[in-house]
Amino acid sequence: MKFSLTIGHLYGLQMNTYGDNGNIITLKKRCEWRGIDVAIKYITYVDEIKEGDYDLYFFGGGQDQTQALISRDLTGGFKDQVKKDVEKGVPLLSICGGYQLLGAYYQPQKGPKIGGLGIFPIYTTASSERMIGNLVIDLVSDGLEMIGKLVGFENHSGKTYLTEGGKPLGKVVKGFGNNGEDGTEGCVYKNAIGCYMHGSLLPKNPQLADWLIKRALEVKYGKKIELEPLNDGLENQAHEGIIKRFVD
Amino acid sequence: MRLILAIWLGKLILFLTQFLKKGGGSAAPGLYALKIEPNLVSKLSRQIPQNIVITGTNGKTTTSRMLNHLVKSQNIKTLRNSTGSNLERGVASTLIASTDWLGQIRDFDLGIWELDEAAFNTVVFEIKPQIMVFLNAFRDQLDRYGEVDTVVKKWWESLEKVDWDPTLIVNGGDTNTATIHAVNEDEDNPLKCLSFRVKNHVLWHESSISLHEKEHSNKKEPLYAEFLAIIKKNLGLLGMVVSIEYPAGKVEINIPVPGIYHIYDFLAAFCVYYLLKLPINNLQKDLESFSPAFGRVEHIKVSDKDVYTFLIKNPAGANTVFETINPELKAGDRLLVALNDNLADGTDVSWIWDADFEILLGGKSIKELIETHFDYKSKPKKGTLFSDLKDNSKLKLEPIISGKRANDLALRLKYAGFDDKNFKIEPNLEEALNSATKDLDGRLFIFPTYTALLELQKILVQKGHKHQYWKE
Repeated sequence: MKFSLTIGHLYGLQMNTYGDNGNIITLKKRCEWRGIDVAIKYITYVDEIKEGDYDLYFFGGGQDQTQALISRDLTGGFKDQVKKDVEKGVPLLSICGGYQLLGAYYQPQKGPKIGGLGIFPIYTTASSERMIGNLVIDLVSDGLEMIGKLVGFENHSGKTYLTEGGKPLGKVVKGFGNNGEDGTEGCVYKNAIGCYMHGSLLPKNPQLADWLIKRALEVKYGKKIELEPLNDGLENQAHEGIIKRFVD
Repeated sequence: MRLILAIWLGKLILFLTQFLKKGGGSAAPGLYALKIEPNLVSKLSRQIPQNIVITGTNGKTTTSRMLNHLVKSQNIKTLRNSTGSNLERGVASTLIASTDWLGQIRDFDLGIWELDEAAFNTVVFEIKPQIMVFLNAFRDQLDRYGEVDTVVKKWWESLEKVDWDPTLIVNGGDTNTATIHAVNEDEDNPLKCLSFRVKNHVLWHESSISLHEKEHSNKKEPLYAEFLAIIKKNLGLLGMVVSIEYPAGKVEINIPVPGIYHIYDFLAAFCVYYLLKLPINNLQKDLESFSPAFGRVEHIKVSDKDVYTFLIKNPAGANTVFETINPELKAGDRLLVALNDNLADGTDVSWIWDADFEILLGGKSIKELIETHFDYKSKPKKGTLFSDLKDNSKLKLEPIISGKRANDLALRLKYAGFDDKNFKIEPNLEEALNSATKDLDGRLFIFPTYTALLELQKILVQKGHKHQYWKE
């Protein structure tokens, strides 16, 4: 059976800094290498999403100014289907600005709160501290912990806090994570992941890329799916190299 | 008196650093002298009859070098911060080295100052230049500067506070700097503005759409004088022939270096040259003798083989380099790519995923592969200006991958479509260079980041392939 996936790149035309496109490239290639058809589509302002349009979502980081405009769109009802899809188990990866916008709100230093889509039980407040550097975490979330560690690069001044029921993605081994205070990084809700890991994240963490692809296929086709293994020599070497240089 | 004291201290430090050979004295004298006399730059620079500041992400050094070369050929005596030291201390150091012991600057006609994007906002009020050049605003080491939107917005804010009468020269082909035209409209007494661009080419920034929409939706079309370059002929690695249309006429110029970005840099220099009322007819001859900024494009011979070095430091710059190289690659050619993550390179290497290494092979970048259902009217067609990209996927390019972040780079090339069976990963740059030049049939193209470039220069000098380390 020939599988196919449609990936929705949320606000990909506006939110595409810090190399987050590398995640899209990685998902695409790792599908293609296994003979899985893959289409990637930009989702932008005012676009309405219908049930079944997308099998996997990606939402990257961007610039502050754009985020206010996106917030208006997200809270204006145009993207409610994303929330419904996540409830159904459709996987989603969001990073930095994307992660913040899928929480309850972002409180800038000046001005009113910027509302989010409310998928993750988190909120974010602006700080004057810029948290920059290589970030290594131990995955602690159920179903992901067998992956072990994730490596990435963070660059944010927003501090994110988990609220009641919020499950962190991982525990910080090196770096700041959500807020540089409580040792947590990211948030997981069902198959949706939010985190501060640029780098790009997925090229150096191929197991996470495959987890997203596998979950997307399983939800779409309603059965258990095993992905064909790939030669991840270079990927693992890059992953281990970061841990060796910045942690050990 | 403070000024004199500051100058004396600065000159003493300059002497010591040069005597002890600790650095080139391009920052320290200014740094300490400014602590004694914070207004040093304004007091000294305003003695120079004309000053020009040049800012932007890419091409500052090339543009000011090119301009310097062109105007000096017309017997204009220039002063400039020549060693890429583009913060206030760098400007101060240059001024200290050029003033007499009493704080008098004589014998100079023109100051050419390249300023860092952020430093611009303060230093421009010290210098109060007659001409300001805005080259472009790309993403570059965001960990140092904050975000591109902010960089452009700060420029606007600064321009609104300008209380003298400068002329602006802006890159109208860059969707970020093009917004600077709009500042023109705000005042009763608008700033004079010149705009340059390359026909059928746009430096596109998606993020600047919101800047345009938000800030300028209610503004009229701004007025400016336009300088337009039309590419007539591509000479490959030897450069290109362009025709330039400007307010008073038209001229054909052979730009002796490859890369579209050099047309932009040249246009910026051309606009200044025009404003200074220098004879356009002399340009070609003077341009022929121009060698581009250190290492940014360099051609040397290693054991009779051609070796070309192109600095890559951010996605936009890298893409233009790749577009230049794509049609040139032939069987037998090799690539050596080196990625470092030192402070001067930017510690975040994520940018390699925004750079379209796919272009080298003639493949499509991820942005082109993503489907969009709405029409981006002004979105430019991808590919080089001269032709469609060439399919190099059958060439066995055997990339040699080096630098502290060689592993990241190897992954990037693998996902760009290079066959990882042919990779040689060698983090040590000297070993990588040995391996790249050994049994080389064709030519070697080297793409290093900034500190890898410095390291490479040193190795090439030690091996006797190059005579001078830093040619400034």
